[in-house]
Amino acid sequence: MKVLTSLRSLASALLRRSRVEGEMDEELQAHLRDRADDLERSGLDRAESQRRARIEFGGYQRYTEECREALGTHFLETLLQDARFGIRMLRKNPGFTALAVLTLALGIATSTSIFTLVKATLLQPLPVRASSRLVVIWVSNLKAGWSRIGPTGQDYLDWREQRTKSFEDLFLFEHGTGTVTGGGEPEQVAGLRVTTNFGDFFGIKPALGRTFRLEEAAARHNLIILAHSYWQRRFGSDPSIVGRGMTLNGEPYTIIGVLPAELSTIFPGDLVVPFDNDWLKRADSDLGVFGRLKPGVSLRQAAAEMSVIMRGMALQRPNRRDFGTVLVPLESARVEYIRPALLVLLGAVGFVLLIACANVANLMMSRAIGRQREVAVRVAIGAGRGRLGRQFLAESTLLALLGGCAGVLLALWCTRLLTWYVPSRIPVPNAADRVLLPSVHMDGAALAFALGISLLAGIVFGLAPALQSLRSDINESLKKRERGSLPGRGGRGPGAALVVAEGALAFVLVIGAALMLQSFSRLLASRPGFRTDHLLTMRIKLSNDAQDSRYRDPWQQAAVFQNFLSKVQAAPGVEAAALAELVPLTQDDMDMGYFVIQEQPPLPTGEHLSADFRDISPGYFHTMGIPLIRGRAFTDRDSRDNPRVVVIDETLARRLFPNQDPIGKHVQIPDALRPAREIVGVVGGVRDTGFDQQPRPTIYLPSLQSPDQTMSLVVRTALPAAAIVPEIKNAIWSVDRDQPVFSIRSMDEIVWEITSARRIAFLALDVFAFLALVLAAVGIYGVTSYAVGQRTHEIGIRMALGARPRDVMRMIVGQGARLAVFGVAIGLIGALGLTRLMSSLLYGVSATDLATFATVTMLLVVVASVACYVPARRAMRVDPTVALRCE
Amino acid sequence: MPEQAQILPGTLDLLILKAVSLGPLHGYGILLRIAQISGQALLIEQGALYPALFRLVRQGLLKASWGTSDNNRRAKFYELTAAGRNRLREEADGWNRLVAAMASALRARPEGA
Repeated sequence: MKVLTSLRSLASALLRRSRVEGEMDEELQAHLRDRADDLERSGLDRAESQRRARIEFGGYQRYTEECREALGTHFLETLLQDARFGIRMLRKNPGFTALAVLTLALGIATSTSIFTLVKATLLQPLPVRASSRLVVIWVSNLKAGWSRIGPTGQDYLDWREQRTKSFEDLFLFEHGTGTVTGGGEPEQVAGLRVTTNFGDFFGIKPALGRTFRLEEAAARHNLIILAHSYWQRRFGSDPSIVGRGMTLNGEPYTIIGVLPAELSTIFPGDLVVPFDNDWLKRADSDLGVFGRLKPGVSLRQAAAEMSVIMRGMALQRPNRRDFGTVLVPLESARVEYIRPALLVLLGAVGFVLLIACANVANLMMSRAIGRQREVAVRVAIGAGRGRLGRQFLAESTLLALLGGCAGVLLALWCTRLLTWYVPSRIPVPNAADRVLLPSVHMDGAALAFALGISLLAGIVFGLAPALQSLRSDINESLKKRERGSLPGRGGRGPGAALVVAEGALAFVLVIGAALMLQSFSRLLASRPGFRTDHLLTMRIKLSNDAQDSRYRDPWQQAAVFQNFLSKVQAAPGVEAAALAELVPLTQDDMDMGYFVIQEQPPLPTGEHLSADFRDISPGYFHTMGIPLIRGRAFTDRDSRDNPRVVVIDETLARRLFPNQDPIGKHVQIPDALRPAREIVGVVGGVRDTGFDQQPRPTIYLPSLQSPDQTMSLVVRTALPAAAIVPEIKNAIWSVDRDQPVFSIRSMDEIVWEITSARRIAFLALDVFAFLALVLAAVGIYGVTSYAVGQRTHEIGIRMALGARPRDVMRMIVGQGARLAVFGVAIGLIGALGLTRLMSSLLYGVSATDLATFATVTMLLVVVASVACYVPARRAMRVDPTVALRCE
Repeated sequence: MPEQAQILPGTLDLLILKAVSLGPLHGYGILLRIAQISGQALLIEQGALYPALFRLVRQGLLKASWGTSDNNRRAKFYELTAAGRNRLREEADGWNRLVAAMASALRARPEGA
């Protein structure tokens, strides 16, 4: 009720506002007139009596102000009034307003959109129970060069048996694919096989049905939990799906539940099936293990306990000697690939914001100085300083809000741009997993962030200079002939400090951007060892789970793959095609293994030769464009019935046969049953794991002698993917109608994806650096041209005394350039410290690259000089007679 | 001109109420009336009158209405409300008590002298 009444009185007060205001004025004016009349009657002349009436009355403005307060005008009302005053002031100076708003908007837009990105990727907690206590557990063997590999099922079982004190629970999963048949096209699905504590481990509340029960691990149960998206896609969100059956890999399965939608960010698959204990003992590759730390247990404590456990395990299982564990919190493991890029961007955007703030402060300061006299006059005629301060506050707040609104609009657009540019999947280094990035969109938090930033920036940087002018001595200000003296005077004072700061900040950013630009162009120019263009890749997995599968025998697998290949090679539009166990740059797990060279003396115990092993079909080197350096490539005759052969890459050749011919030597894989394999060729090295990695020693085996269940098909074609993919599918289906083809990606897409982190950093950093440079130039220009304006009189005198325009020019530009050089010097020190932080993003260029630093220094000095040159030209054209007369 | 005194803080309201209690007045009239009834002895800055008037109106002690002044100009007239009349009585009593107390205090002599 009370609220309602006060609201109503506020409304009527607002309506009455102008009337009351007018009446108040009328009343006070009537008083003055009556008094003047009386005084005139007592014998003074009209002018004198009016003057006396005013003096007797006292501070007119102060009393009207007090009357307003006495009238009980609402706080809100004063606020409105201040706002109206602010708008009037801002409209009086459209150039100033536009510049300040634009500057703020740029700063706010960039920082808000990067904040949105960072929040979506780094700050968003995972939608699972106790996500901050979840840890990824990898095993490592530094002697073998394995920094992170997936544990085996036996490792997991051993760890469980040890009942670790650090972990509440352990969870194991395996990424896999399966074939869904029955009802439409055969479909390859991606899925997880998980231990049966899945539901409890993550605290999953299924959208439908249930998760697995612990006891369901005791025997094999064909149970399926559907991912939310797959349930929607394949089953049209059928609410009665639980209990229904489906055919996976030729076997009947029962659907027991549907996962909630939000889990798709951590489980980017189609379905989940359970491990049973027997299967768990056999599982040995591509496994992921998560642990949930007990509350209060640190990562370090857990790591210490795990290393003790690993040492104990090595006594029982000698093949686990030299193995350790690597523990990484799940939340950081997901984003570790993109985090350095994001943090660099966050830093960069902070710099842009600071420069924008410096510019606003600069503008406000110039204006405050220009208004010093006005302020002094208003204080002298009775305006309260508090009231004036409030008006300045209103003005800066308005400015900040305008900047903020423009910034948010700009940020919305930038965020959309970012979403398009940021890949939704981020490859994780050295892990058998890809991570799905959550979608990036602006939300309340981002808006609050933008609002907060803009208010802070506008008010703090806008109000401070205004208050400064309030504090200054009225008498001094009134006496001064020229209006203010802060920035001029040989470049001292806060204006100069701002120019120096802007120069320094811009320098650091431009250095960062220049380093990134070089890294990126070098990265793209670095040859991965094969031709990435016009190359299409896809995966084919033969189903052998079902008892009646045709492909249980490895040699059958080799034969059917050869059959697929010859059909694909014959398809129209296919220039060349081949099969490979793994496609380079896809960052799947590495197939590293030990071997010995028959012709060389054995290594000391505990030391091994290791290389990546790749099974490939004939025609692979040709299709990929990998150069053959010596010997020959594989042919169709390198099959089961003929002598075993291998091709090695030049990295391995150089390392093992420095001054010998490797052809004719024999590679022995440590397994007594396998015959030694003759080296028949040497090919160029391939950067298998990424553009920025060196080629790893690789041994190629012919797939006809080393069959696989899953292979990648690589096709070189001039046709677009959309045109060629149906041809390829038809070719494969002409062999087996039920064979799915999946993960169809062009090599260009793969390259785009793995260079994503650097590309984002490169692109955004360069945009920010450009912005920073422009803003800094605007700032320097503003300060210089203001100084020129202030010094017109002085310049006039100088010119009257014989200074030539060139001298004036040199003086003005020299002063600006000196400030800029000072700023660059400070920036140089900052950059030397800060670029080190981004060294993980750099490639082929040092964080303290001399040439880059020199070039950027030049660039900044040139930009600063140009920014000074424009106002200096104006100074040069000062006409001494006009300049002197106008004072 | 008699000796002038600055008015005590807080007494302006009382003076205004007293001045208006003798009949409705506009702002300048109140000023003249105060000067008249205090025998030109009390000095106030003229502008200070108005915030006080506005405050009293807001407190409901005075009532304002627009009318025509002696010289035929539109003017705002103030008169006492019932509440204003009560307040005037209370304040005047309070003031008198204070003055009496002060006077007796100032008359006091050293004991036993």
